[in-house]
Amino acid sequence: MSPPRTPWAGAPPGTDHADLAALLARVAVGDQAAFDAMYDRVAAPVFGTVRSVVRDPGLSEEVTQEVFVEVWRAASRFDASKGSPMAWVATIAHRRAVDRVRSEQRSADRDRRAASSVIAYDDVAETVADNLDRERVRRCLGTLTDLQREAVTLAYYGGYTYRQVAGLLGVPAGTVSTRMRDGLIRLRDCLGAGR
Amino acid sequence: MRIRRPQPHTLAGAYALDALDGPDRARFERHAARCQECTREVSGLREATARLATAAAARPPAALKETLRAETARTRQLPPATRGSHAAGRARPRLGARRLGVRRLALALGGAAAVAAVTVWVTGSLGPPAGQPSSGQEIAAVLTAPDAVKLTAQVRTGGSATIVMSHHDGMLVFAAAGLRRLPAAQHYELWLIGPGRDRPAGRLPTSSHGMAGPVVASGLRSGDRLGLSVETTAGTRRPTTPMLLELTL
Repeated sequence: MSPPRTPWAGAPPGTDHADLAALLARVAVGDQAAFDAMYDRVAAPVFGTVRSVVRDPGLSEEVTQEVFVEVWRAASRFDASKGSPMAWVATIAHRRAVDRVRSEQRSADRDRRAASSVIAYDDVAETVADNLDRERVRRCLGTLTDLQREAVTLAYYGGYTYRQVAGLLGVPAGTVSTRMRDGLIRLRDCLGAGR
Repeated sequence: MRIRRPQPHTLAGAYALDALDGPDRARFERHAARCQECTREVSGLREATARLATAAAARPPAALKETLRAETARTRQLPPATRGSHAAGRARPRLGARRLGVRRLALALGGAAAVAAVTVWVTGSLGPPAGQPSSGQEIAAVLTAPDAVKLTAQVRTGGSATIVMSHHDGMLVFAAAGLRRLPAAQHYELWLIGPGRDRPAGRLPTSSHGMAGPVVASGLRSGDRLGLSVETTAGTRRPTTPMLLELTL
């Protein structure tokens, strides 16, 4: 009856997909208590992701708020057959964050942005020092080639487009796009993904 | 020399990382709309990027949760994305004793004219009249909600109002008949009056023959009352004249 499950990259330790999906279903019908519970579960990943991309603390809060209003608004559109609830929320968060920095910094000085991205990755590592999941992600990032890893982290934590990443790393854009794909596939498989 | 563009499907990784901007993103999305494999691949890769998100976890300021409570309370939620199957998916349960028929509700919303209007909107053969923000689908959703209830009330300056409301969906349809005509610069405005603060719930479009609405108001909360006032400025955030109607929902 139910469609085959889309493979996901293994449940992060301590996170129960079914639980979060059930909360989202309650949020979809306007259940404020469910929203609070859902918030407690995903606020840290959302805020951390937004902050790594946006950098500015005030703006990060603002974007995080927008992300959760969007989650509230669109909860009924979450489709468990298409992926995990965490991926759905993280996608909204990351997309919103990069869209915000791109619109705000469209004309900003590229050199300054390049400098800040290096800081971004270091800061991220520091921020998540006590995060259990972080060790595993870090280890799996370590299985990527240098180019794959840099392409993936500059894009995700730095919020760069693949063309900007190509410029930063001095490699052709086409190479960057394939490395991003290969890198994510390897990361997914390493994280216990699988199918 | 021109930069060679990568094949769209090789951009799945960049897309999952939100590393495509403007035209690149649009191009990939056009491609993915026809490429099931791409959509599946992006979903799988997003499970990996989600782990990058959890690895970056950082505690947000505590005040954010309170701010969000207020925000969600006044933010209307999207209905599920069902296309075509919407009516069928609603299961059209047997009309129970408490359940009112669409036609009866439409009648309740102000007589034959409203029936005609609601009917054409529901069947979709006509768009809503100009300046009419309520979609037929929304109206149909409220009218066919299993918990739909009907209320009627008199407007102080003349006329009567009919409200059909679904607590479950947090929505209501408002229509009025025989309202006093207003000068061109004024309009009737609906309000949701709650424990927090008053929220504008929609401007009431009026027609030549004294019928007003139907309009849909959403985001109802328990304890809300419905109000109607006369306003001059579009987009005013709080009522500036006394309520002509106030109804506990």
